[in-house]
Amino acid sequence: MTKAVPARTTRVVTVGGVLRREEMDLVINPLDFKALQAADYAKRYNGGKLIAVSMGPDFKVKPLLSELYSHPIEGVDEAIVLSDRRMAGADTWATAYTLSLGVKKALDLNRGAVEEVLELVESGASGEKVLERARELYHANLLPNLVYTEKPGLPEGVVQRYAKGRATVEEVREALLKVRTELERFLIVAGLKTSDGETGSTGPQTAEALSDALGRKIPDITHVVDFEVDAESGTLVAVRKTGSYLQRLRSPLPCVITIMPDYRAGVTPVLRRKRAALYSYRGKVREVRVWNADDIGADPSKIGLAGSPTIVGPGIDIGGPPVQKFVGRTRVFTQRVEAFEFNGKTYGPFERFAKADDLPEELVRELEAKGLVKRFDLRDLLEEVFGGVLVAAKH
Amino acid sequence: MSSSQQSIEVRIEGYRDVWVYCEHEDGKLTRPTTEVIAGARKVADKVGMDVVGVLIGYNLGDLVREPIYYGADKVIYCDDPRLKDYQVLPYTTVLSDMVMQLKPWALLFVTSEIGKDLGPRVAYRTRTGLAADVIDLVVEDFVMNLPTGRYVYKDCIAQVRPDFATRIAKIFTPKHRPQISSVRPGNFTPLPRDESRRGEIVRWEPRFDEDDFQVEVLETVRVPKSEVKLEEAKVVISLGLGVLRDASGRPRNPREAYELAKQLADLIREKFGVETEIGASRALIYAELKELEGLITKDRQVGQTGKTIAPDVYIALGISGALQHRVGMQRSKKIIAVNVDPNAPIFQIAHYGYVGDLYEFLPKAIEILRSM
Repeated sequence: MTKAVPARTTRVVTVGGVLRREEMDLVINPLDFKALQAADYAKRYNGGKLIAVSMGPDFKVKPLLSELYSHPIEGVDEAIVLSDRRMAGADTWATAYTLSLGVKKALDLNRGAVEEVLELVESGASGEKVLERARELYHANLLPNLVYTEKPGLPEGVVQRYAKGRATVEEVREALLKVRTELERFLIVAGLKTSDGETGSTGPQTAEALSDALGRKIPDITHVVDFEVDAESGTLVAVRKTGSYLQRLRSPLPCVITIMPDYRAGVTPVLRRKRAALYSYRGKVREVRVWNADDIGADPSKIGLAGSPTIVGPGIDIGGPPVQKFVGRTRVFTQRVEAFEFNGKTYGPFERFAKADDLPEELVRELEAKGLVKRFDLRDLLEEVFGGVLVAAKH
Repeated sequence: MSSSQQSIEVRIEGYRDVWVYCEHEDGKLTRPTTEVIAGARKVADKVGMDVVGVLIGYNLGDLVREPIYYGADKVIYCDDPRLKDYQVLPYTTVLSDMVMQLKPWALLFVTSEIGKDLGPRVAYRTRTGLAADVIDLVVEDFVMNLPTGRYVYKDCIAQVRPDFATRIAKIFTPKHRPQISSVRPGNFTPLPRDESRRGEIVRWEPRFDEDDFQVEVLETVRVPKSEVKLEEAKVVISLGLGVLRDASGRPRNPREAYELAKQLADLIREKFGVETEIGASRALIYAELKELEGLITKDRQVGQTGKTIAPDVYIALGISGALQHRVGMQRSKKIIAVNVDPNAPIFQIAHYGYVGDLYEFLPKAIEILRSM
């Protein structure tokens, strides 16, 4: 799961507390790259496919997800963006709900492909016919190399052997059922939090939402520092931080994890490479899929602003840019100066170290000549900071 | 008069009390938990409700009284061998069941690894809102102007949280109950522990689903406590990649920068009697410089992926001030930035700027402070 976040927080556009993502420069949330790295590691270890799922205005998010295909490290195979006007203004509840339905649809799509071939074989279709459909599905990235492949260096897929009479119906069925079982053993990886909302809630809430969508409880493990996942046995072993302790947990798949920023992906053992290759897909579907609320069967009352229990009240500025003084540049008063008149206007009173830069230049020169204003120096800085704040702290 | 100017008062009835999910370690409430009890007290008193401490675990013993000693009126606890270690599924089940049956008005968590896991799941399951990383809680009406009228949701909690660089936002959960927040440590002062306080203590019998125990805890290991106390220091002096070169571009020994920063920190501690600490930017820590091995360690990292601190004085030495760093220190009361690049983003939020290198700044500052 990945999110497009504002590139610069100094140029955030909100209307009534709702981020107008469509009006801002967006980037992939920085911590999501850790999630992609972790997901990529899981894929290198087990095979399978890496799908990037995001929610946001498609014309903004699509280009960002497309870039992931050419990213040097992460082996993203497919990208899905859930985009719909009705999804705008979602809080974490509505986001989790939406994402869970996107995940479910992706799962259904993949499972559907496997089941279609299974039915074809079991209905006694000719080897040629099964082969043809398998080829199509392989090119749509929906069947792994184990079933059908055109990759050099890999053994022929079981359907290809079946078409040549070198594999039995039983062998085909066994392979397809295995693929289907492993599809159900998926792992969802999210970054620890996003740089815009910064809540870190969407990961665990997606697990909860997915529990609803799939009708069984899906665990989550947050703050994961390290993990190993094995599709063969369908288990995940993860190390997570809780308070002053590290917990090592074993969870069945599917599971949702959020990755700590200091996670570093390990090296894939050579022994796993063959398995990983067999269970991998053709990969790199260049086109980003866009699904709207109807595509994923979302209840309109549970998405976007309408489905969000929280409402962001008006933002309140706290301070904005501080009064700034630069050593050697800013001009400040050298002592307290009572209110005075200059060219018919009243100025002051001024405290020691008050900034004089905003006064008329002519006046500043005059004050400088009298020794009442000077350039702020390092001694002034230290005196102002440590003379005031900390002497008080000492007593 | 158009109907849109009519005020419609909305009160969500049937929900009472402010609950605090109490985290405990080694038989004690954690300090942030006692802070959140104080925060709960503040809002509960405002609306005339009780503060209820919720404890989940195994062999809780006398711990069940602690929330009351720290200011709660009542405790609900669930004690079961299957709840010995924190695990998200059974804990979510227990807490969600409590919430759905007993209908609290608000439920507060600590912003911690547990609060940020359990809080979101309970909020989702009970179909209500969650405000994360809250720094203050204020009771106020929430007004929503709709074409059908001006709706006034009476007595909501404005859940105050930082919003981007220089703003705060108030998050409201007007229509759903409980109002759930996770409260950041360091924002409320715990009430003094008072063993004479009395209150009702109620035991909760859990009902689990079979699939609540899918996850197995294989091992629990204590993380060695860090000696670095960045959060408690009044003055933090942080180093960034600026340690590598001086203003003329000449490579310098980063060890020298560390020693100078340490000298300054020690001098301030002696002279003003305040705690000081050395921090670092992520870039410097991840550079893993040989010269700084064992000195600039991960527990000194300030920023989004490190610690968030708000000391009285923060001195950023050779730190350009990427957003990820700024979010970890921008609430410091006085920020002094030292950088050779006058356009470094750190200067945007600094109260004091020194355009120059740290190798020039540090010896001068040490000399001046000595003479002060």
